[in-house]
Amino acid sequence: MTENSAKAEESGVIKEEVKHQFKFYITAFFITYLLSYFIPSIIFAAYIILVFFPFVLMVPTFVELFTSLESIIALLFTPLVLTLCYIIRMYVVASISKIIWNYTERGSPSKEGIIPRNIPSKTLNFYHIRSFLIKYPKNLFMKGLFPWAINWLYNFIGSNKVGKGVTIEEQFGADRFVEFGDNSYIGVNSGFSSHAVDGSFGNISYFKIKLDKNVTAGGMNCVAPGVTVGANSYLFPFAGATKFNHLKGNNYYYGVPLRKIFKKKITEYSSIPKEIIEEEQNYQADPQSFEVLKKVISENYSPNYSVEALTQAETETPQLKPHVIDDKDNFAVDFSTSSSINRISLKFLFLYLPIFLASGLLAGMFWEDMSFIASLFNMEILYICLLPVIIFATYNMFYFFCVILSKLFLIFINLIHRPKEGIFRAKKGNTDFEFWRLRTELKKLVLWISNNYPLPWIDALAFRWFGIKMNFSSHLPDAWVDAEFIKLGRKVTVGQGAVVMSSMIVGNYLIIKKVIFEDYAVIGGVSTVSPGTYVGADTVLGALSVTNYNQKLEPGWIYFGIPVIKLKPNKYAEMRRDLIVKKDVDKRIKYTTETEVNIDEDKKILVKSKNSNSEHSNKGE
Amino acid sequence: MRVGPFTAGVLLKKKYLIFHFFLIWSSLIVGFVEFWLYFRLLYFQHIAHFYIFLPIYIFFIYISVGLTSILFAKILLIITHLFHKPREGIFIRDRRDKDYRYWCIRNTIKKFPIWISHKFPIPFMDNLCFKVFGVKTNLSNSLFEGWVDTEFIELGKNVIIGKASIIQSSLILGNLLLIKKVTFEDNVSIGAHSIVVPGTYIKRNTILASNSMTTVDQVLVENFIYIGIPAHKYKPNVFQKEDLEEFIGDIKQVEELREKYEQIYVKRYDKEMSQNKENPNCVKTSETIEKNDR
Repeated sequence: MTENSAKAEESGVIKEEVKHQFKFYITAFFITYLLSYFIPSIIFAAYIILVFFPFVLMVPTFVELFTSLESIIALLFTPLVLTLCYIIRMYVVASISKIIWNYTERGSPSKEGIIPRNIPSKTLNFYHIRSFLIKYPKNLFMKGLFPWAINWLYNFIGSNKVGKGVTIEEQFGADRFVEFGDNSYIGVNSGFSSHAVDGSFGNISYFKIKLDKNVTAGGMNCVAPGVTVGANSYLFPFAGATKFNHLKGNNYYYGVPLRKIFKKKITEYSSIPKEIIEEEQNYQADPQSFEVLKKVISENYSPNYSVEALTQAETETPQLKPHVIDDKDNFAVDFSTSSSINRISLKFLFLYLPIFLASGLLAGMFWEDMSFIASLFNMEILYICLLPVIIFATYNMFYFFCVILSKLFLIFINLIHRPKEGIFRAKKGNTDFEFWRLRTELKKLVLWISNNYPLPWIDALAFRWFGIKMNFSSHLPDAWVDAEFIKLGRKVTVGQGAVVMSSMIVGNYLIIKKVIFEDYAVIGGVSTVSPGTYVGADTVLGALSVTNYNQKLEPGWIYFGIPVIKLKPNKYAEMRRDLIVKKDVDKRIKYTTETEVNIDEDKKILVKSKNSNSEHSNKGE
Repeated sequence: MRVGPFTAGVLLKKKYLIFHFFLIWSSLIVGFVEFWLYFRLLYFQHIAHFYIFLPIYIFFIYISVGLTSILFAKILLIITHLFHKPREGIFIRDRRDKDYRYWCIRNTIKKFPIWISHKFPIPFMDNLCFKVFGVKTNLSNSLFEGWVDTEFIELGKNVIIGKASIIQSSLILGNLLLIKKVTFEDNVSIGAHSIVVPGTYIKRNTILASNSMTTVDQVLVENFIYIGIPAHKYKPNVFQKEDLEEFIGDIKQVEELREKYEQIYVKRYDKEMSQNKENPNCVKTSETIEKNDR
């Protein structure tokens, strides 16, 4: 760290670390969390005491429960009341978030522009606060019982503008500054992110994403800030738009970075006949054109295809490398797969059940103590009022005991067999493989609970608890990160939906190798990091990129691609921030425009712009 | 992070929510009746035991609520299948289309059972969901790291689904909805962040590398490694053989590897390539030209 700041002083560029407003975050979170439980828990407790207890619980026999009118009505209404309380809670969370959101908007309104990340400013702080603020309601809605309500939430808080008939599937991005047109479909795991972190000491590009009506994205579509998508654009799965792309619309887009594709290609990729595609593009959503399209489909398409014929054709197509089994090249791991375990066995239950039952028991004892104390001092009303706090505390107790017990099990397992790096057979009976699976499953339990925990930093706690060297300043809650053989430096940012693997199953082999991220590394969204990767200090890995097995990334560079190669030096802090390069995808033109840098008025002098030094600006383009 | 089974969240008409509410309501009633049983058993005898064992009992109530919702959802699905059988094909993303409507209804019905089994920390209930909703799979398959669709999917033994991968048997493409069966044979492994689209057929011992995507109606032949967007044959999968620990190595020249990848990714590696082996410049398509211009 000292080395870095010394270097920074030499070049005259400010490189200050981002200071997170933890005080604000935690206050905002607890206000939202506890207040939101307050009203629903009072309603539910009242229902339990006034209706459920006398009419259901006090009924002595099973037959009477279903024959007496009062008890059956009370029983049938209970689920409805519980669901109602859940909906009220969702509403309260949304309302409180809206109030705090509006308050931050008054402090520093969200507007388009590049926010310098190396200079501390009010704009940057409010940006981070808003980032944190939207996370809890978003997760509550998207992963909740009514995921369809997410459209309402965005419109209510005012972070996004969502049109009618829009479907937003489960994803990590798309939480603010995005405009969705009517009748759009955003596929699963897409990253529609209006903000991109360009290096730890670089910029945050914060630009609106605008989607016109009837845009469909197949899934895993990374869309960078400042992208505008025209009406009736169809993004195939995996199509990724880079910053400030402009899509005209009425077309199909494909690839990374995305480009317009021709009808022949559409037929090749989607095996939908040409006639249907032509007709589909003229589709007007009225009864007449519906009938026409329906007729064209029934005439030109049949879903049956012969697997044998396709296999024959596929066998005949040449592969890139010659088919010589003994070629040494064949044994090289020059691709990456995944670190998922191949199967779960019932014997894992022997791990799960004791941990769950024991921590459940302990949490129950805690709750019993609380209610006992309440009844001892005749404080039932206080008990009901404090119910949210008690529920939260019991939940914490449960989590705490789960963590402790799994650690005990883990120590025990590691005593029997020490985890080590290397290449092992991924077959039943191989001790290294079996113990790797056991460790993974055991850790998954705790990581799963921490993932569902409302506060995002609990992940870091769980990781540290399992012996990973990492700092609380690092950020990895929205990513799949293996919980062993990983070293994270200071202020490492792992992007949304990224996969970081320290182990990998290739065919019948399991490869385990340590992954090291040095200080201030930034891993882009939806990128894959293979075992053995070393990421140097202040290096940026682009979105949708893949590192290769044992690949070393030098410090201070921007890497991009599959597999990643050097793109350009990481010099965002030195570059001009008021120039952006827009790209028209359909016409393949690039043009540069100027925007205002989004920073406090008194700090504008610190930022290089048109009037000051323009030496570096040419490099940036 | 566990993601597990996936159903599309398209809510075509608000009235479909009635299925969702019905499932919540009916399965929670079972939970409350069980709670009544527990209360009668313990509350009057040992009040302390009542509180101490409550979290553990809630654990079992949760399981029974989940199982009930799966059962009721299955019954509802059977009833909807009587009105309209799910079938493969191309449909129009419009509320006039019967297949699209019933696809939405099926998704809405599956939402609650999947949600409740997904919120359960032990993954076996997810597998049960898959099984009951008509995915042909082993109970021991681990399908929790990626989004896997719950109908028209057939999986063999020992299938590895990569982290954050998407296995879909239905794809929305503009105004069209494409539903087609996805089949994996034994020992297939799907890399992280890979997408398998409808109509894909992957044969035995084949690896689809990470950040790759198949195309509709693509067959991946056995014992190969596939790579690319769209996926192309890369090299034979020798990693099924015995005693390779010493031979498995890494790549030192990443730039060279990248060039190889670029050939797969950007150029059209098909008949043109095989016909003009002596002249590699022939395969310059519009895309490569565009890349050079940049």
